[in-house]
Amino acid sequence: MDSRLRAVPPPLHAEREPLRPMLWTIAAFVAGALLNVDRIPLWATAVLIACAAWQLSVAAHKLPALPKPAQLILTFVLVTCVVATFHTLNGLPAGTVLLVVMGSIKLLETRGRRDRYIVIGAALFLLLAACLDRQALARLPLYLGDALLCCTALLVSAYGGAGLEIRVAAKLAARSLLLALPLALVFFLFFPRLPGGFWALPANDDAITGLGESMSPGSISQLTASYDPAFRVRFAGAIPPPQERYWRGPVLHDFDGYTWRRGVVEAYRQPALRYLGEPFRYSVTLVPDANRWWFTLDTVVGSPDKHVFFSYDYDLIAREPVTQLTTYDALSYTHTESSEPLSNFARKIESALPPNRNPRTRELAARLRERAAADPDFVRAVIDFFRTGGFQYSLTPPMLDLDSVDDFLFHTREGFCGHYASAFVALMRAGGVPARVVTGYQGGEWNPIGGYFLIRQSDAHAWAEIWIEGRGWRRVDPTAIVAPERLSRGILDILPNAVSGRTRLLYTTPLLVHLLQGWDALNTAWNERIVKFDVNMQLGILERLGVRSADWTALVAALASGLIGWLAWIAWHIGRSAGPRPADRLARAYARLCRKLARAGIARDAHEGPLDYAARIVRRRPDLAPRAQPLLARYAHLRYGPVGGEVAAAATAAFERMVLRLHVARRPRSTPLRRSKSL
Amino acid sequence: MEPDRAALQRGLAALGTVILGKSTQVRLCLACLLARGHLLIEDVPGVGKTTLAHALAHVLGLAWQRVQFTSDLLPADVIGVSVFERTRQLFEFRKGPIFTQLLLADEINRASPRTQSALLEAMEERQVSADLTTYSLPDPFFVVATQNPHDEVGTFALPESQLDRFLMCVTLGYPDADHERELLKSGARRELLPQIAPALNSVALLRIQAAVRAVHVADALLDYTLALIARTRARADLKLGLSPRAGQGLIRASQAWAYMQNRAAVMPEDVQAVLPAVVAHRLERREGLDMRAGSALTDEILKAVPVPL
Repeated sequence: MDSRLRAVPPPLHAEREPLRPMLWTIAAFVAGALLNVDRIPLWATAVLIACAAWQLSVAAHKLPALPKPAQLILTFVLVTCVVATFHTLNGLPAGTVLLVVMGSIKLLETRGRRDRYIVIGAALFLLLAACLDRQALARLPLYLGDALLCCTALLVSAYGGAGLEIRVAAKLAARSLLLALPLALVFFLFFPRLPGGFWALPANDDAITGLGESMSPGSISQLTASYDPAFRVRFAGAIPPPQERYWRGPVLHDFDGYTWRRGVVEAYRQPALRYLGEPFRYSVTLVPDANRWWFTLDTVVGSPDKHVFFSYDYDLIAREPVTQLTTYDALSYTHTESSEPLSNFARKIESALPPNRNPRTRELAARLRERAAADPDFVRAVIDFFRTGGFQYSLTPPMLDLDSVDDFLFHTREGFCGHYASAFVALMRAGGVPARVVTGYQGGEWNPIGGYFLIRQSDAHAWAEIWIEGRGWRRVDPTAIVAPERLSRGILDILPNAVSGRTRLLYTTPLLVHLLQGWDALNTAWNERIVKFDVNMQLGILERLGVRSADWTALVAALASGLIGWLAWIAWHIGRSAGPRPADRLARAYARLCRKLARAGIARDAHEGPLDYAARIVRRRPDLAPRAQPLLARYAHLRYGPVGGEVAAAATAAFERMVLRLHVARRPRSTPLRRSKSL
Repeated sequence: MEPDRAALQRGLAALGTVILGKSTQVRLCLACLLARGHLLIEDVPGVGKTTLAHALAHVLGLAWQRVQFTSDLLPADVIGVSVFERTRQLFEFRKGPIFTQLLLADEINRASPRTQSALLEAMEERQVSADLTTYSLPDPFFVVATQNPHDEVGTFALPESQLDRFLMCVTLGYPDADHERELLKSGARRELLPQIAPALNSVALLRIQAAVRAVHVADALLDYTLALIARTRARADLKLGLSPRAGQGLIRASQAWAYMQNRAAVMPEDVQAVLPAVVAHRLERREGLDMRAGSALTDEILKAVPVPL
């Protein structure tokens, strides 16, 4: 071996690595990973924790650093694991895990400032990944906290040596973030957004909640116990009265004697409607539930979006499941009429019953039908049957057997909307009246703070629609006949035991209700104004700013002028507060000290030496003197005293830290009493 | 060196009992001597110039001589004269009063330019040449001169080139009311002099002077001093800016001042403290009745030059 090579000093990592910057780097990275912890597999989390713990021990000199070959093997194995888990390295989920894993390995070989920067950079990317994935208001503090943590870690790392003191670094980081805020605002407002769901990545396997395309006895009660929001509605102008607030969802046509299904029926031509009365204009914001239904006030006049199909039974069905917050404007009439006759095909579909099921129901229908002269009389008779039949509203009815309608009508007589709608439509069909089950939501809670209706899963409802020749489809809500109070009052009032104790407490305590409403309003505003901020809103802002016929070029121009404005502001700020940039570190620290003291109201004159300045502070601001005087004396010593070389550099660094740490109050804590000399 | 500092403080205190209410001027005078500089005390008669000079000599414990300058005073009266010694058939040099440690030159502007320049040359070179022989003056050697600037009849104002030889020019001014009352009450201050014990001696003084030279002068301070000097040269209303010798003097005086403040290094404050005394007599405005630039001018200069960070 060449003798020169043997004389090479030991590798860098043998040197003492300061603990504090390492600690902060690890903290920043782990925090970034934790933001995504529910989306990364357990093994990746384990790798992260193991690497962080190992590096912590290395930094504390408890363990040797992992040798290079081992790191390489680990890298290969872990990347293979990612590929095995996701079958790709592309996309947000796989990318996040890859970032966590690679960052963890990078932690193992982190020595010195440059490496720490890389790890903190990865932590910032993890924050970005979390932001891309979820934008709920409740997560905002988490994201802000993580941004602050990363910036603090950067500062602590940047300072070298034992690092900057935490309080000082955090303050500087917060200041930097604040300074960046206008820039962020400019980008938010004017950065041209690609229309469409650019960020919306394919839905993950979120559980599908909300109404489905089938209804069995009992299926809706699971929803009723849930107070999760389904969608929010904001009316522009008139608000329909409570008894008209039916939110139309899946219409079910096909009955097998137990379960109602939407069915793979061939669509029939939708009879032409005549709209009565005034329309209601409103916008709906759907909470993502992985369903394809766009709920509307019964009855909507058309589709607001070309990707949403307006079905023959007045449903809106989207091409893609709703996986992100979706807002649409709609127009509905609560009263309609149709004088066209129903086609035979349609009549056949809407009157179909399974042949061998629910015989007693058929019997009853036949009996009532005999007595009735026309369809409306028959309907009235059935309604009377429900009113007087001793039915009870319950969210926990007994199980029904396969002939569910028979069992319900003649045996249990206890149930909720699904049971009543199912039984009513079955009776109608048995009596020869075309009828169908409509599921959806009914009512909604008015949020006075946000000025919108919140429709919860607990508002899920099912009702019936019957065809009356000459008048068209009419809504009949058998539940309202049996339990009218169910429509005007919440489930909590009627059946308080149907929901959990926690939910009951949350939604019956007035103060809590208010708080929840406020929080919901805040969330809604956040979702509507911030998360859903799109190119149309951008152009709207430009138009409000006075730009006629705003388009992309106007947006780019606004972005550019915003950027220039921000830069000018920063430049002005720097120019004003710093003056010409002092030459050396000591001078900069001293200038900073003087600025701080100047902000406290006692500025140094340009021709004033440090000692005179200190003396003046003692005279004028005795409250500052104990902290300011030693600093000024230290500066005087460093600048003019017989110090030099290593000592001076170290002392200068110490002085810098002391200056950064110094906090001075603007006003003296206690004003010394002024004594008048004159009598 | 602590005993020296203590002795210096004792000396200052003693001077304070003689010269009432002029502690800054007294300190400046002392600083001037510690910086091995010659001192000019300039003021109207009767404010204690001569008393101060006497007190300084006394407190420093130096051998001193006093010469009252008049228009008929000849250089030989100050420096000495070669006299023919009849018995030994040769000229022998009789040393004049300048051969002492501290020379009090009273009313220096009354002497003829010839005598003045003889004195001033001796001051600068710290040696006297007579009859091809050079005689060294003792060490330490100081000249403390006094003059009355308002006296114009029968005086020869010192030209700038010669004023430059004085490290400092100190103006006493009238005492304030309280101290003047004290003066009136207690009678002549000069009578107090014999009661004052010398605080120092020539050996201690030399030691202190060496210590003063060792006071640290940082580059930053040199920058500041240079900026001050440059400022005097840049001003259009001055006939002349400060000479490099003035700059040297400024540094030396600042060192002495810093030493008296018990500092190991010179601070900008030290420069600022001595600057008026060191430069005021060297600066002259181009026009105006005010021949000698006063404290207002030095104040302006100080305010105009920022202390570098």
